[in-house]
Amino acid sequence: MLDYFLIQSANGIVIGVIYALIATGLTIIFALLKIVNFAHGELYMMGGYFGYYVITLAGVPPLPAVVAAMAISFAFAVAIERGLLTPLYSPGMERKSDYGILITFGLAVFLRNIAIIIFGPFPLRPPSFFDGDLVLGGLIISYDRLVAAGGGLLILVLLIFFLNRTVWGQALNAVSQSRESASIVGINSERMYMFAFGLGGALAGGAGALVAPIYSLSPSMGLVPDTQAFVIVILGGLGSVSGSIIAGILLGLSENLFIAFLPDPNRGPSYANAFGLFIMMLVLLFRPTGIFGRHHAAME
Amino acid sequence: MRAPDILLSLLLAGLAAAFPFLVNAYWLHVMIIGMIYAIIAASWSLLAGFAGQFSFGHVAFVAIGGYTAGILAVSLHVPLPLGMLAGIVAAALIGAGVGWTCLRMSGPYLAIFTMAFSEVLRITIVTENEITGGPGGLNVPQLFHAQTDLPYYYLILALLVVSVVGMMLVLASRWGLFFRAIRENEQAAAAAGVKVTRFRILACAIASGVAGLAGGFYAPYIGILTPDVASQDQMGLVVAMAIVGGVETLPGVVAGAIAVEFMVEALRSYGQWRLVLFGLLLLLTMRFARNGLLAPGWLAIRRLAVLQGQRLIRGTAD
Amino acid sequence: MAMPALIETRGLSKHFGGIFAVDRLDFAVNAGELVGLIGPNGSGKTTTINLLTGHLKIDAGQVRLRGERVDGAAASVFAARGVGRTFQITQLFSRMSVIENMLVPGLARAHAEKRVVLGEARKHLEFLGLASLETLQAKNLSGGQQKLLELGRALMLKPEILFLDEPFAGVNPYLRDEIIGFVKTLHEAGRTFVIVDHDLDAIQRLVHRLVVMSRGKKIADGPLAEVRTNPAVITAYSGV
Ligand SMILES: Nc1ncnc2c1ncn2[C@@H]1O[C@H](COP(=O)(O)OP(=O)(O)O)[C@@H](O)[C@H]1O
Ligand SMILES: [Mg+2]
Repeated sequence: MLDYFLIQSANGIVIGVIYALIATGLTIIFALLKIVNFAHGELYMMGGYFGYYVITLAGVPPLPAVVAAMAISFAFAVAIERGLLTPLYSPGMERKSDYGILITFGLAVFLRNIAIIIFGPFPLRPPSFFDGDLVLGGLIISYDRLVAAGGGLLILVLLIFFLNRTVWGQALNAVSQSRESASIVGINSERMYMFAFGLGGALAGGAGALVAPIYSLSPSMGLVPDTQAFVIVILGGLGSVSGSIIAGILLGLSENLFIAFLPDPNRGPSYANAFGLFIMMLVLLFRPTGIFGRHHAAME
Repeated sequence: MRAPDILLSLLLAGLAAAFPFLVNAYWLHVMIIGMIYAIIAASWSLLAGFAGQFSFGHVAFVAIGGYTAGILAVSLHVPLPLGMLAGIVAAALIGAGVGWTCLRMSGPYLAIFTMAFSEVLRITIVTENEITGGPGGLNVPQLFHAQTDLPYYYLILALLVVSVVGMMLVLASRWGLFFRAIRENEQAAAAAGVKVTRFRILACAIASGVAGLAGGFYAPYIGILTPDVASQDQMGLVVAMAIVGGVETLPGVVAGAIAVEFMVEALRSYGQWRLVLFGLLLLLTMRFARNGLLAPGWLAIRRLAVLQGQRLIRGTAD
Repeated sequence: MAMPALIETRGLSKHFGGIFAVDRLDFAVNAGELVGLIGPNGSGKTTTINLLTGHLKIDAGQVRLRGERVDGAAASVFAARGVGRTFQITQLFSRMSVIENMLVPGLARAHAEKRVVLGEARKHLEFLGLASLETLQAKNLSGGQQKLLELGRALMLKPEILFLDEPFAGVNPYLRDEIIGFVKTLHEAGRTFVIVDHDLDAIQRLVHRLVVMSRGKKIADGPLAEVRTNPAVITAYSGV
């Protein structure tokens, strides 16, 4: 029983790191473009397939394929941003929030369904990063999971470094604080939006490529992370990468422990997704406007 | 209503009454499905376009209406019309409850919350298969014992007219004014004496009840109800229909729903491509024609009709 | 016993995190008064209005309307009982026409009849010089016209008391004089006003009584001339 608990905890941490990757991307997009990307889970899904085809068609080894998948996801997200999101930046645009919701929602529907045509409805599984399991006493964990968690953490550390220590990272931060003052110091904010959406896409895509050998790929795999990422952003604090990491791991952990301890074994896996959604509904109940004090802004 | 409106309405009424005799059974079926979607999309427009609550969980209430009628009929042998009524009431009440729960949410927060609600409901339907039939579906008895779909057609036509005209009357009344005021600025609406809580919940209840009606009809018409009615792809289809029609004009939305459904069927041989195409349609409409494709067209026709009418009147006066 | 004050607070308090935006405020306005409420930025004026109109929840203290406790009531209840307000940043129903903006509060009143309300709305628009703009969407009005429309919308409540939050901010001198004139006329017709603004000149031309806030507290309250020479007021203004 204790072993089972340990294994479930380890699985929870792995999926938590992946959630954190997806959520930080969502946060960055949110912080810059001020929209919730309802197609974020679909970018995650696309990233998984990009990785798969880089391995199977181009013969790239699995680990470098993750990097390639991130690069392709970046380009893919930038193309989406150029094609669909530029109206958000024109000052005359009305109801930007509505536009952001509907256009990314439409995008999600489109990507999910075109994925069925291009990639087929059946689950695909790329080769393992490394075959075999690590056995530590009662704890058994596959190398694939270790690589996914380790790779995810590495990306997150690099991201934190990038955001805090580089010119581009600081420019991103400046634009997220205030578009106007950023443009005064000569930052091209539209280029930053493009970059932020690309970066968000790359993070989601990297997550997809990392989990592919563990969970397999399917066109609808983005549906759950779509909403999960949102919980994490709200729990962890908008714009807070470290908050997202902690909240992501906590969510992954609690979901896996929920499965482990639900008395009805048939219903457990089925309700596991509902559990995460349920937590999110609770979170929203207590923080109905997320992290902003938007109420105050409207009041002044 | 102006003269051209009345004329157009009469024309449409005539066309609708004659429709079953102009087409074969297959297209009649497509039309019935289109009208079911029209009710769903129009009720979503009331909630999203007019009351400003962008729910992505609206199809959950279609499921609630359908499963209530279906389960009552299958498990408790309640007559279908009574079960359909119960479905409407259940959907409206649960809708009011969800509306109450997300009173303090707006924009993407509300969208995500309702989406989560809908997914939780769908997962519950999938899992509790002893009652709901699970993923395999629930077999619902027929409403009419006729050889053709004719009775279904006239029933759904009546339901569509009653529900859409009813919603249009609500929107033209002071309730509709309050819905829009709350959409525009909740704080200002409260300062203007609008009971924001009451009207937000009311909008949810009305929209959900109407969606429940559509579900209650759908269940016995199709004969089998699956959890897919509450899927996000269904939600996407409904949103696409409303946006293509023009989300702030209910007749436009009805036309949009029927047009999209006919397109979906016309493209039947393309299989999965259909879903891709209407996803693309939604994206392009949002991107390049935010007020919808059909509503502006309808307004242009009306303007033309008014103009012609005036010219006619002036002509006779001369 | 004297008549109870039109609106009155005792020990009214509101804090945001560690900031005491309003701190044990006692404050009463009698029917027919025209009161100025001033204070440096961040002294709690807007928060006070929000508490007195049901737009914010009260942490501690009481609000009485004609002697009756109303704290905890929703903003719409305050509106229904004749408490009107404008906002520091104009809050209109942007994608609705001018006349629809006016109809909302009119039709929200109990037993309102559409025909009557429409008549009232047109009368107020006439008074404010907006009559010709009836069918325009509110978002297409100029900034000044939007301010006037917001005032007109508050008038549709048939309010006994009106709170105006910085009506003169960002307003050109011509419009400023116009607003002063409107307030005077409405006051003579029997309406009570509480006006928050930094434009002391305009305030002096209007009010009889001045209340001064600083850091959430009331530091002076009395006739105009008296308050202006109050040393506490002078330090509060020069200290910030
Ligand atoms: N919703 C809010 N959340 C947090 N702090 C607030 C909020 N509203 C006001 N404050 C703070 O309360 C204090 C008083 O603000 P306010 O009433 O707006 O002042 P005034 O209108 O006199 O300029 C300020 O320090 C302000 O920052
Ligand atoms: Mg203020």
